[in-house]
Amino acid sequence: MRLKWKLTVASLKMFFRQREAIIWTLLLPVFMIALFALVKFDGIGRLHIGVVNEAGGESSVFLSALGNVETVEITEGTLEHEVAELNKGERHLVLVIPQSFQTGVGVQLTAFSNEASPREGQLASLLVQGVLDEPSLRQFPVGTRCVLSTRALQGKRHTYIDFLLPGIISMSIMQMGIFGVAFSFVSLKKRGILRRLWVTPIRPGDFVLAQITMRLVVVMLQISLLVGVGAFFLDVHFTGSLLDMFIVGVLGAFVFLGFGFAIAGVSRSEDQVAPLANIIAMPMILLGGVFFSRSNLPGIVHAITQILPLTYLADAMRAIAIGGATLGEIGSDLLALSLWCVLSCVAAIRFFRWE
Amino acid sequence: MPESILEVRNLTKKYSDLVAVNQISFSVQQQEIFGILGPNGAGKTSTLEMLETLRTIDAGEASLDGIDVRRNPREVKRRIGVQLQSSAFFDKLSLGEILLLFGEFYGRRIDPIELLREVELQEKISSAVAELSGGQKQRFSIAVALVNDPVLLFLDEPTTGLDPQARRNLWTVIKRIRSEGKTVVLTTHYMDEAEELCDRVAIMDKGSIVALAPPSQLISTLLSGGFTKTRVERLANLEDVFLSLTGHSLRDE
Repeated sequence: MRLKWKLTVASLKMFFRQREAIIWTLLLPVFMIALFALVKFDGIGRLHIGVVNEAGGESSVFLSALGNVETVEITEGTLEHEVAELNKGERHLVLVIPQSFQTGVGVQLTAFSNEASPREGQLASLLVQGVLDEPSLRQFPVGTRCVLSTRALQGKRHTYIDFLLPGIISMSIMQMGIFGVAFSFVSLKKRGILRRLWVTPIRPGDFVLAQITMRLVVVMLQISLLVGVGAFFLDVHFTGSLLDMFIVGVLGAFVFLGFGFAIAGVSRSEDQVAPLANIIAMPMILLGGVFFSRSNLPGIVHAITQILPLTYLADAMRAIAIGGATLGEIGSDLLALSLWCVLSCVAAIRFFRWE
Repeated sequence: MPESILEVRNLTKKYSDLVAVNQISFSVQQQEIFGILGPNGAGKTSTLEMLETLRTIDAGEASLDGIDVRRNPREVKRRIGVQLQSSAFFDKLSLGEILLLFGEFYGRRIDPIELLREVELQEKISSAVAELSGGQKQRFSIAVALVNDPVLLFLDEPTTGLDPQARRNLWTVIKRIRSEGKTVVLTTHYMDEAEELCDRVAIMDKGSIVALAPPSQLISTLLSGGFTKTRVERLANLEDVFLSLTGHSLRDE
């Protein structure tokens, strides 16, 4: 009995002295739970109504009544923006409240739904009509009834897989850049293979360049493979250009390769790479808009995750692949990725060590 | 007077406060096997690493084949072959592929079979390094060190960890390489190895060379000083017993 106890204590000691074990088994799960707790998953399944309010304060009573409906989420914006969101599948209905809107006056309201999701559109317009007809607003004669007319706009049907695939492409580019580079360089360093190279006339820059070129070739293979699988087996409707996806993918790869080299620089062994790489990669995987739309994230988290490099990469990839956007249309994402690229290259140069 | 291929003068290496190599001087002749002996921490590896251009020379000079090691490390790298203590190579490449790649580092198209034959590994051309035994790994890393047809070969503890048969086999390989016109500088912990292989040895202690001469001369100097062993050496030792029982042939193939 005593022996078994002592052996357990010794085993516990050995376990807790392994830093990576603590990170993997204790901290990471806590970290993941914390991240997921930030996401309002119960927000998924709500009806998202975009409101174009031209009536100003006149419509406040109506809007607060609409907002009080539990299954409804309201976003106010311009007509152009809200219709664009509708087309992307981010809104189920866009309601236009005309300038002439006044409580107690019967006016015609217009709403737009997406042809691609008719059920949600119908449901949302029924709901809006219901609120318009609510007794509190109906203390006026029957003739003052507001009538909603809904027009279905032609839109693309976006399935979850359409959303997911460009995200997965972006994530795999990140994984290859961060984990691939960091693990392989630390292993080359630790096992003395790099030292063996430096007694030959090879220039270190040439070796790094070959590594980067190899990774970029892998990025193009990843994109081609995933697009192929998506198009042929998963019925994903790609509308953008593969070349543009390559260009965005290569830009994204440079960002994450920089991180990979920086991590390889500060790590002495593979055990140090794993937690560091995960701390950088995990939040981006969970909150960067890979697996679910970031529109369900609460305000502050939404704002922070907007500036993550994976968010820019996934948004740009998705805009091209599914939205059919050209490089010009995603200029701001590309600019942000370029800034991240500069930042990560500076980090790589600052932290990378051969020994 | 044979031509000297390596000239070392007042070579010094400091690590913060510790002087690892303290103003050592020696020269190595062409086609010589030169041994650097000494206990751990004596400065053998630091010396080798400075000459191999892996570490900066803090003071003093070294010239190899007439080239200043400090000023022209790349030219030195072109002329030397190096076996480091850790003999790890890329694991996903075969021996043949590694040799071809290392050849490219020197701008050479080499014949891997020819190099592998030199170290008796020609039938392993398609194997990975991980599949080799300890002795085979050491022989392979010598083959890699030969890809650029170097004038001088640095071997850092080439036989550490090998069984007596594999050690003797490696001695044969090293002697053959010398007979082909190359110069060898090696470090070792084994005195029998130094006695068997080296034309001259430098014995290092605490960063300095305390003796430099052919092994037989060092022994006679000691004996002429009146040294006697407390236990008289018999005409055979335990290693001879081991080898006569288990044979001289290699076991690792």
